[in-house]
Amino acid sequence: MRIEIDKDLCCGAGTCVRFAPDVFDQDDEDGTVILLDATPGDEQRAAVEKAAEGCPTAVISIT
Amino acid sequence: MTPLLYPGGHIGWLVTGLQTARAVLGDTRFSSLPEGKRDPVKEISNQLSPDALPTGMFVNMDPPQHTRYRRLLSKHFTVRRVRELRPRIQEMTDRLLDGMESAGGPVDLVTAFAKPLPTLVTSELLGLPEEDRAEFGRHVDVLFSLSTSKEEMNQSLMGLGAMLNALIVAARKDQGPDVLGRLTAETDLTDEELLGITIVLLIAGLETTTNMLALGTYTLLRHPDQLADLRGDWSLIDDAVEELLRYLSVVQVGPLRVAAEDFAFEGLSIRKGEVVAVSLPAANRDPLGFDDPDTFDIRRGVTRHVAFGSGPHQCMGHHLARLELAVGYESLLRRFPRLELAVPPEEIGTREMMVTYGVLGLPVRW
Repeated sequence: MRIEIDKDLCCGAGTCVRFAPDVFDQDDEDGTVILLDATPGDEQRAAVEKAAEGCPTAVISIT
Repeated sequence: MTPLLYPGGHIGWLVTGLQTARAVLGDTRFSSLPEGKRDPVKEISNQLSPDALPTGMFVNMDPPQHTRYRRLLSKHFTVRRVRELRPRIQEMTDRLLDGMESAGGPVDLVTAFAKPLPTLVTSELLGLPEEDRAEFGRHVDVLFSLSTSKEEMNQSLMGLGAMLNALIVAARKDQGPDVLGRLTAETDLTDEELLGITIVLLIAGLETTTNMLALGTYTLLRHPDQLADLRGDWSLIDDAVEELLRYLSVVQVGPLRVAAEDFAFEGLSIRKGEVVAVSLPAANRDPLGFDDPDTFDIRRGVTRHVAFGSGPHQCMGHHLARLELAVGYESLLRRFPRLELAVPPEEIGTREMMVTYGVLGLPVRW
């Protein structure tokens, strides 16, 4: 699994951190997404999919 | 998405599907600017002329203006920051429950608990002094009523403005640890911008959470089997909060958008100026999005409801709201193992004519 994010569109909602805290974090300065792990293992797949689906501005893409 | 005749004759749109709601709210061709917005229930939005509003009310902005405010504010509502607030929220919750316990039942849960908890939390975040909190609550009631006249609306906006201006002056001087203190110390936001921001944060943080706390408690009490499950396994609390958010969807009018241009959207021809009302309660009960959507089920494991909206304007305080609800419900139910309604359910009045749905009062005993 490979994750890409479009930080420009991020509104800092932190939904990704709620679902997948081992993969995503939030910038302490503006709340926007920080990708901790761009190629997480399969055990993170369900959490990352929830994060991608829940993201209010569809910032996360998984390939 | 279907055509809707608005009061006054405008023909716009109504969105009731979950996917379409997310698509509309995520598409900035549907503008959030106040010009041309019309309320689908009663002509109320138009009573507020845009130039009467202070700058900084970022709910009425589009990117990139909106993005600037959002970036300055989001740091105060991150998952990490909200987690740090937990012990303090627990403390405020416990103190309110102490008050209820010593007063003895029956009490009105709205006035004893559901209203004061978010008021305390939000006021503390913004550094609003104790003595201003009651007056602030009265202004919010007026601003949120669907039956408010233009004069009442403007009067409340002005009253609120005067209170908050004083608060901003104090924050600039003290530069305390609260959100307003930090914003004055760390950003170049003007006083007028801070006023708009503060109005948005206070209104957003209070009314919604209050109604979720009271209506959510009512809903749990009316589903005794699921309440018993929850009491038997508190690890269900976060799922219960999500299901209550979906099932109740207390923001019952709007969000509203106005098409900024002519364009094709999901096979429909959208014309510039057409108003779009998204019904969050309808989207959250879309049978294509949820199995058996009218059934309340705390084990549903719902993850993608739109109770907080969607798109760049999605509620910034959603982590805080979730925390207040989880701590609020669990602490209340733990404190009073035999909590029950003190009147027959049919005697409980609801807020039909308010933007935010809820109960007018909730007499309980234990």
